[in-house]
Amino acid sequence: MTPTQSTPASTAVTRWFRRIPLSLIVVVALLLLLTVTGTVLSDRFATSRNFLNVFQQAASLGVVSLGQTLVVLTGGIDLSVGAMISLTSNLTSGLIDGNPDRVLPVVIGVVALGAAIGCMNGLLTHYLRIHPLIVTLGMASILQGVTLLYSLAPLGKVPQEFQVLAYGRFLGVSIGGLAMIGLFVLAAIFLHFTRTGNAIYAVGGDPRGAHLMGISVARTLAIAYGLSGALAAITGIYLVSRMGTGDPWRGEGFELASITPVVVGGTILAGGRGGVLGTLLGVYLISLLNNLLNFLDVSTFYQWIIQGLIIITAVAINVERGRRA
Amino acid sequence: MTSAIVSVTGMSKSFPGVRSLDRVDLEVARGEVRALVGENGAGKSTLIKIIAGAYRPDDGELAFDGRSTRWSSPHEAARAGVHVIYQELILFPDMTVAQNIFVNDQPRNRFCLIDKADMRRRATAILEELGSPIDPDEKVRNLTVASQQLVEIARALKSNAKLIIFDEPTAVLGGHEVDILFAMIARLKARGVAVIFISHRLEEVFAIADSATVLKDGKLVGTLPVKELTQSKLVSMMIGRPLADMFPPKATSEPQGAPVLAANDIWSGPKVKGISLALHKGEIVGLAGMVGSGRTEIAHALFGSAPLERGSVTQGGTAATSPDPCQSIARGIGFLTENRKEEGLFMLQDIAVNISAPILGRIGSALFLNRTAERMLARQQIAQYAIAATGPNAAVVNLSGGNQQKVLLGRWVNTSNTALILDEPTRGVDVGAKMEIYRIIRELANRGLGILVISSELPEIIGLCDRVIVIAEGRKTGELTGRDLTEERVMELAVATGGAGLPNGVAA
Repeated sequence: MTPTQSTPASTAVTRWFRRIPLSLIVVVALLLLLTVTGTVLSDRFATSRNFLNVFQQAASLGVVSLGQTLVVLTGGIDLSVGAMISLTSNLTSGLIDGNPDRVLPVVIGVVALGAAIGCMNGLLTHYLRIHPLIVTLGMASILQGVTLLYSLAPLGKVPQEFQVLAYGRFLGVSIGGLAMIGLFVLAAIFLHFTRTGNAIYAVGGDPRGAHLMGISVARTLAIAYGLSGALAAITGIYLVSRMGTGDPWRGEGFELASITPVVVGGTILAGGRGGVLGTLLGVYLISLLNNLLNFLDVSTFYQWIIQGLIIITAVAINVERGRRA
Repeated sequence: MTSAIVSVTGMSKSFPGVRSLDRVDLEVARGEVRALVGENGAGKSTLIKIIAGAYRPDDGELAFDGRSTRWSSPHEAARAGVHVIYQELILFPDMTVAQNIFVNDQPRNRFCLIDKADMRRRATAILEELGSPIDPDEKVRNLTVASQQLVEIARALKSNAKLIIFDEPTAVLGGHEVDILFAMIARLKARGVAVIFISHRLEEVFAIADSATVLKDGKLVGTLPVKELTQSKLVSMMIGRPLADMFPPKATSEPQGAPVLAANDIWSGPKVKGISLALHKGEIVGLAGMVGSGRTEIAHALFGSAPLERGSVTQGGTAATSPDPCQSIARGIGFLTENRKEEGLFMLQDIAVNISAPILGRIGSALFLNRTAERMLARQQIAQYAIAATGPNAAVVNLSGGNQQKVLLGRWVNTSNTALILDEPTRGVDVGAKMEIYRIIRELANRGLGILVISSELPEIIGLCDRVIVIAEGRKTGELTGRDLTEERVMELAVATGGAGLPNGVAA
């Protein structure tokens, strides 16, 4: 009975390699497959110009999926991100209304609002012992209602300079895209090198055990959902920058779209396993896929079908791995 | 004792309708290993949960490390040095060993970020001190249960545990793993750590404990040094009456006729390698071997819940190369799985629903169920098997382990008139209920069923079974009956390696 079998041949390198989750290998393989297919099928696909475009376009999906990842790691789900994006986008442009002096306070205020609403999701889930699916679905409905009470139509506008976030380039690379990568790096550091980050994995793995270990489940959930809310608000703001104005329906569909990269990237819905690198790769996979299908002039409905197939396939492969382990 | 690490006086705790703990006293010294025994419901769990800060007592004094105290949370107790290693381990399977050890106080550098190198180094140091070669970077999910327990012990040591409470730690371990755990406990003792050890296996009390405290019905029966105890004295203290005989008498006549359940050179997965065995009407056959030797997998193969790669099974006279559970049930075979909560019972449903689940077709008409008949059947079985419950509508989750097991037995008896496979039928069950389960098993055999029993407890296998088949590494290493059926012989065969062992089918 040796606890871990370590044959003399198993070097540090092979051990390191063995620890790469299969899900990451699958996503990378899919990305490569997609790139090769795209190169063969379309001569406009494999160009640096197109890749830089996709890099820019992926920013909104990336930021909201990043927040979703944190929540899914706790074993929860955040279905309020779509309505949150709608609310924050229309609120941002409505409050700024073209006045450059208001940009900073409004942006800070809107992100804080997103964080506060997110915290509330986490705390309600914990203290009322309601499944997060229900809490965030209810919250989505409330937020959408508030959004529509605020305005039935796109409201206000933002100064030209504000669009730097979406269209600005630094050395030819999208600033929004770079900012998204920056957020992913911060999130990775947060998850792996802070106690709260580790607590997210612990709560997702076994909430009762985490409680018995002295980890505050309420605090951990409040932070995870709060970050998800804040990141959804940032997505809303980013979309205002991209479109020039808000929209009371801007976030429609994001609640489910944000889950796709998470599960494709190997974070399991039961919580406790996965990470942001998988989500990042998942975001690029989905963005590249949609980009290619656009080039091929394929109907949006086919995009849905293919996206669905990818989700089910990727997750099925991860489950298989779980059974063997 | 002046060196008492923990001292409990007049401890009482009630739950709605139950006085779970009634003025109990307990004192454990540094470096002492104390066994805490008693039937389920005797109050052991309540007592340790109070000591560990998970429950607040209604009345009574708790002193830890010389100071009178009342914990506000398990975490506070843990910080003071009380650690409980529950049977269901508190581990995070997708985190590494080091992360699990330091799950609630990771070492941090001056930027307030977790210092992974330091964490790994300290984890390695603790594991080495425990004499364990576990890799701190390994995911806990990939460890054996025994190694997982070790991770919990390491976690307790990391935070300077002064008292470690083990709640039935051996129920999930195989024989060799128990030895490792006991060696670990001896090390803890040598370091001056006090240990409270809960177990239903009395031989373990004698193997590891310095003294034993017996609880019954929430009251203290007594505390005695192990030197002054015998197994029968301990049992009579626990059940409150002299121990007549744990096991019912064995079958007197040799089994006759064709086997009711047989395996003919079956192979299935990595753990079943060419097993042949036969089970006859009216006999109880034991399947012994280490945990992980393939016993459970053989049961699954016989029942059809794991695919056969080669060979065939005979069920009630019909041979099948690809049996499936539905067929097996139809042929009168029942299978009581080892983890009743996950694979057996519908925990939140009531007793009646649980009992009738596999025979819904027989209760009522083609379209509608006859709920009255279902309740009647349940009431009858509650009486027959002495299930302690308020009635057919009692939810199974509220029953004790022994009574849950009886519900499952009741279920399978309704469907099975050929053979029953029982995987660890008395796991987590107290002595009194064990005796009742043994009696029921023998009664079923006398009614003509063939019964295959898998158990990790050697006294149970030897006391209950007419014949024992020993498995090692997926192969049959021998078969024992009559006078050959001793703990020593079973152990010898259980550690025999499959490749070098006896060929299949050789009877010892």
